[in-house]
Amino acid sequence: MNVGNKSYSESRLERSPDHSLMPPCQFACPLHMEIGAYVDLVAQGKIMEALQVIRDGNPFPSICAYVCTHPCEDACRRGQVDKPIAIRALKRFAVEFGGDRMIGAEAETKHEEKVAIVGSGPAGLACAYYLRKLGYPVTIFEAYTKLGGMLRVGIPQYRLPREVVDTEVQRLVNMGVEIKANTRIISLDLLFDIGYKAVFITVGAHQSLRMGIDGEESPGVIDGATFLREVNLGLKPSLGEEVAVVGGGNVAMDAARAAVRLDAKKVSILYRRTRQEMPADPREIEQALEEGIDIVYLVAPTRIKRENGRLNVTCVRMELGEPDGSGRQRPIPIKDSEFSEEFDTLIAAIGQAPRTPSDFGVRLGRGSTIQVDPITLTTNRAGVFAGGDAVTGPATVTQALASGRQAAFRIDDYLQHTYPLVNKEAEKTLSGELLPKTVEMIKKIERVEPPSLALEARAKDFGTVELVYGWEEAINEARRCLRCGMGAEILFQDKCATCLTCLRICPYHVPYLDKGGTIQIPPDQCQACGICVAECPAKAIVLRKPYDRRHVDEELEHALKSAAESKSKPLIIGFCCQYGLFGTGALASLWRESKAGIWIVPVLCVAKLEEGHILRAFEMGGEGVFIAGCGEQCSRENTAFWVLQRVEKVRRALFQIGLEPERLQTFNLRASEGDAAEALDNFIGLIGRLCLASVIKQEVRS
Amino acid sequence: MEEIRRVIAPYERILLLGCGTCMTVCGAGGEHEVSFLHSALRVAQARSSDGIHSFLEYTVKRQCDFEFLDLLVDKVNEADAILSLGCGIGVQVLAERFPDVPVLPGVNTSFMGMTKEWGVWDERCAACGDCRLAETAGICPITRCTKGILNGPCAGTKNGKCEANKDMDCAWVLIYKRLEKLQQLEKMRRYYPPRNFRVIPRPRRIVIKADVEQGEDNG
Repeated sequence: MNVGNKSYSESRLERSPDHSLMPPCQFACPLHMEIGAYVDLVAQGKIMEALQVIRDGNPFPSICAYVCTHPCEDACRRGQVDKPIAIRALKRFAVEFGGDRMIGAEAETKHEEKVAIVGSGPAGLACAYYLRKLGYPVTIFEAYTKLGGMLRVGIPQYRLPREVVDTEVQRLVNMGVEIKANTRIISLDLLFDIGYKAVFITVGAHQSLRMGIDGEESPGVIDGATFLREVNLGLKPSLGEEVAVVGGGNVAMDAARAAVRLDAKKVSILYRRTRQEMPADPREIEQALEEGIDIVYLVAPTRIKRENGRLNVTCVRMELGEPDGSGRQRPIPIKDSEFSEEFDTLIAAIGQAPRTPSDFGVRLGRGSTIQVDPITLTTNRAGVFAGGDAVTGPATVTQALASGRQAAFRIDDYLQHTYPLVNKEAEKTLSGELLPKTVEMIKKIERVEPPSLALEARAKDFGTVELVYGWEEAINEARRCLRCGMGAEILFQDKCATCLTCLRICPYHVPYLDKGGTIQIPPDQCQACGICVAECPAKAIVLRKPYDRRHVDEELEHALKSAAESKSKPLIIGFCCQYGLFGTGALASLWRESKAGIWIVPVLCVAKLEEGHILRAFEMGGEGVFIAGCGEQCSRENTAFWVLQRVEKVRRALFQIGLEPERLQTFNLRASEGDAAEALDNFIGLIGRLCLASVIKQEVRS
Repeated sequence: MEEIRRVIAPYERILLLGCGTCMTVCGAGGEHEVSFLHSALRVAQARSSDGIHSFLEYTVKRQCDFEFLDLLVDKVNEADAILSLGCGIGVQVLAERFPDVPVLPGVNTSFMGMTKEWGVWDERCAACGDCRLAETAGICPITRCTKGILNGPCAGTKNGKCEANKDMDCAWVLIYKRLEKLQQLEKMRRYYPPRNFRVIPRPRRIVIKADVEQGEDNG
């Protein structure tokens, strides 16, 4: 651990911890973003660094921050303890506070081969971004006047402000992407004729499915995709007073909520199954209900008749039968349960399909989707790739971004005549449920929901409903992360003496003795508190990532170096919890104002602090050392106990060396310790007196 | 600590040597403790003017075997003295293996015991070579009775605790209760003659190797 420890550092060079364990959130993310890493950085208040991690994994984080359906949160194992981490809201916080808008993107042309992208939805934009980064000249062709595809014409403004899309498009323009709006591509041959070497088709799925009932063509009946497109292009379709929306997906929710904002008096959603089977995002459903939308379950329209300028809609009631191909229970009409209702407008939002021009000459599959090789994204035509909703049918923005990114790299492979390495290394996923004995020991901390726009303000316009976290809320939410996959690992099995210390001291009962008598720390259970790392008598344990004991070493040496150049006396070193408010500097700034030469060493939980670190501070001239944990805010177990254990041990050693044990103090580890600022002032006074006393003693001796 | 600083005072380059087996398990001389001692010695040195040492720390798998110590030759050559955090055996094996280098003890080896819980160790065996555990229900009166008597309990037992320390269990009460449970109380009624207190000739040695002549013809 410190400079002289050869045996540790020698072995350290030979082996490094297993980094390949992917936490469940990261695995669930179509882009495999390093969620654990950025959530942890937010928890430390390091917003810029968090944004950097986010940008590394996502071309358009600001868009995802608004509209991602966050499969990561569904996979989050905190859900087994209380509620999942609000990952998307944290990303939104990092994007807004980290200044994502300001970040420019640069790209230089390294290749000659031009690539055409047909369609400017999220898949097309992502593909353009990565191809440009790889150095290709890229042109985006878009049939509408503005870029964005479904981001522009599908998703309502209250969910995704248009400035966000504009910013991202502008960034692409700055990177040198050529934009051809108002240009509908009819045939691909022409593109090849004018010199494009590869084409990426990403035309989306804009064609609404038909209900297939009588009267569907009547005026007053409109399909969801067309309705949202009109709304999003700034037209204000007149809806009348009573509106029905048919369907239970996100498009149905969007259409209904857009209708509310267009002054419809009464909006009902007709869905043929129950809320449980609804494919729409639960939060969207909740917000729709909040806005006064009436959702009628187990109902389907069978006939529409236009009478006196209104729609007479005949519906039938349904019951749920056997599960169908999608695994959901199939709705079956109940005999003689027909009833009629009158509406002014009916919006059919029961699904969408792609509509790829037949002259493209690409083979289509089920539901008119383009058939591609799932790994290379190649179609039946050479040099033609396809992705996004046009291939998958209606899916999420994040899936489209992932598909665009994949296409960019496969197009690069194609143009450089290299073959993609398939399954080059299957990433290990950390999976499995937390064991009940572990769950029991994890502190329950309530999820901090991001604030929403007040209900009264919502129906009036298309302003963003979900608001961004404040600084403190974001940090508190991020601290709930269980750090799956970052946990302890017995890196040096040969050093392990199987002393069972880790097994005895783990607050979460994670290590166990296997049948062969070897100690195991299952990575899917470990909570990464670091206590066993600091206590292992053989120093055989490290944390997988990213903050093992080297982190504290580095921070400490950095502080000591700066301290050596400073003249303020007496020199006091403070090890402070980097998480939460300590990280944001609220208390650190307080300490900076004090008279003595106080140097703060940020520690990612004081439970990771070892005796050696404390002694090192004294060795390098520290007259006093204090440790400040985050006290009641701590999301871990037993932190204070272990800090105090180590403090006692060091105090005994100090005494034997001839230094006053009071030179080492802890603050705020327990609520009862009171005001930290006052305690620190007292401590500075004490150290001053002790220094004076030792000077006098030396004078007397000489 | 003062004792250690006194013994190392004459030497400049000191190898702090831990032991990776028993001393690690009992938290007395594994890599963690070596590192702690190293840090503490450096603080002491930085804070006082007496003696300038350079320290090198290392933890070997086991100090009580020459073969492991052979791996240390280069490190020992660089040192003026070895401060061993092994048990008393380790210190002596080191001294035997490295005849030219002073070897100093860094721990006071106290007893053979067990980990009661994290941070608490209890003595269990005195290595007396005269084991009575078969008669005493697996509870050793030599180490666990303050007086080490063979026919207990004495009159100092009170509520199952020892008169010498009322937090300490009376070994003979434990023995009685366990024999009762095992339905072997008759063992309590027997008289055990005093142990052989003659001075055991030391050093003791155990030889399991049979005295077989070695030679090419013995196949």
